Amino acid sequence: MIISVILIIALIYLLIGVLFVPFFYIKGIRHIDETVKGSSIGFYIIISPGVIVFWPVLLRKWRKALKEQAYE
Amino acid sequence: MSTAYSAVGWNRQKKIYDGWIAAFCITYLALFISLTLLFNSEATFETILIRSTSTLAVLLLHIILSIGPLTRLNKKFMPLLYNRRHLGVTMFSFAAVHGIFSIIQFHSLSNTNPFLSLFLSNTNYGSVPAFPFQTLGFIALIIFFLMAITSHDFWLHNLSPIVWKTLHMFVYAAYILVVMHVMLGVIQYEKNPAFVLILFTGSASLIILHLLAGQKERKIDKMKFKLKEDGFVYVCEADEIEDSRAKIFCIDQERIAVYRHENKLYAIHNVCKHQGGPLGEGKIVDGCITCPWHGYQYLPQNGQSPPPFKEKVSTYDVLVNNNKVWLNPTAYAEGTERKGASL
Repeated sequence: MIISVILIIALIYLLIGVLFVPFFYIKGIRHIDETVKGSSIGFYIIISPGVIVFWPVLLRKWRKALKEQAYE
Repeated sequence: MSTAYSAVGWNRQKKIYDGWIAAFCITYLALFISLTLLFNSEATFETILIRSTSTLAVLLLHIILSIGPLTRLNKKFMPLLYNRRHLGVTMFSFAAVHGIFSIIQFHSLSNTNPFLSLFLSNTNYGSVPAFPFQTLGFIALIIFFLMAITSHDFWLHNLSPIVWKTLHMFVYAAYILVVMHVMLGVIQYEKNPAFVLILFTGSASLIILHLLAGQKERKIDKMKFKLKEDGFVYVCEADEIEDSRAKIFCIDQERIAVYRHENKLYAIHNVCKHQGGPLGEGKIVDGCITCPWHGYQYLPQNGQSPPPFKEKVSTYDVLVNNNKVWLNPTAYAEGTERKGASL
């Protein structure tokens, strides 16, 4: 039972990550790391599994960057 | 450094390195498959695939974990360190093939979800001879997966170097899980002690290498330096430092690299801004101090990466008097220009 619940939570977490990827690439990534300007499509593909797994970290950085830009 | 990211930062050296990795893996797999077919003609395709990829992944893991201490013991091993990241991703790829095919082979033939089956088909956690060793391998694979997907500079910058390094230090936890996975699996399926002996030899070699490298570093860190009145510390004779190379000194718990370049000595902080690589173990290439880990470069006179890159490390004052090198361990702000000490 516990294993089933953990697996379902993990699946939901990763699905949110998958949905997060396009929004992050279109709107967010430029705010948190200016080095991405001019990066290749291969770069976006290669970091995608990490974006799916670490989406809460990136979302937090994205929100922080937006707040900082709003103050400026 | 600071230009746009590329998918894979290939250059000529890295391509050669990757060519060697590919040749090694292909040779190993060909040998393993040939020998298995020669001595065990009844082995199925799935068994050969699962075993060849698992043994190759374990072998690569031992090589990866040996590279760090080997380079600290002997600089001749430095080229192995340069592209260790690709070696790690290769190791994960073979481990993943092993893991995926094992789950298909052993857990996908019933109505139960394969992942549930992995955890629930054997729950003898209290028994050594019947321990569910596959779960240990699965957890190790998850750690390798997290390491592989973050093996890009984007993650180093955005997870922060400390978090990134901590995550990648979990390789040692994964290694222990792999050893237990293999040992407990061998107990259940193998009569031949060769696997246990090979793994035991590998683990013992790794432990000895790490102890020797640690002992060498401790010796450097514990060197006592006589303080001079004006804050300078005598560190060595000038001719002890080879041209285009450095010596590392640990003073007040800070490691400082003193480089010799064009008949002058320069001192910079030993820690690379990229992944904390030991700058003093690198060499001067095209007039720049070049980190042995991933080739990040800094100008010796000011500790700045050449434009357009923006990385900076601290610089220090050096003096040479009667062939004796004196170093002031008080750091200047990162990127501060120092004229160096003429020899």
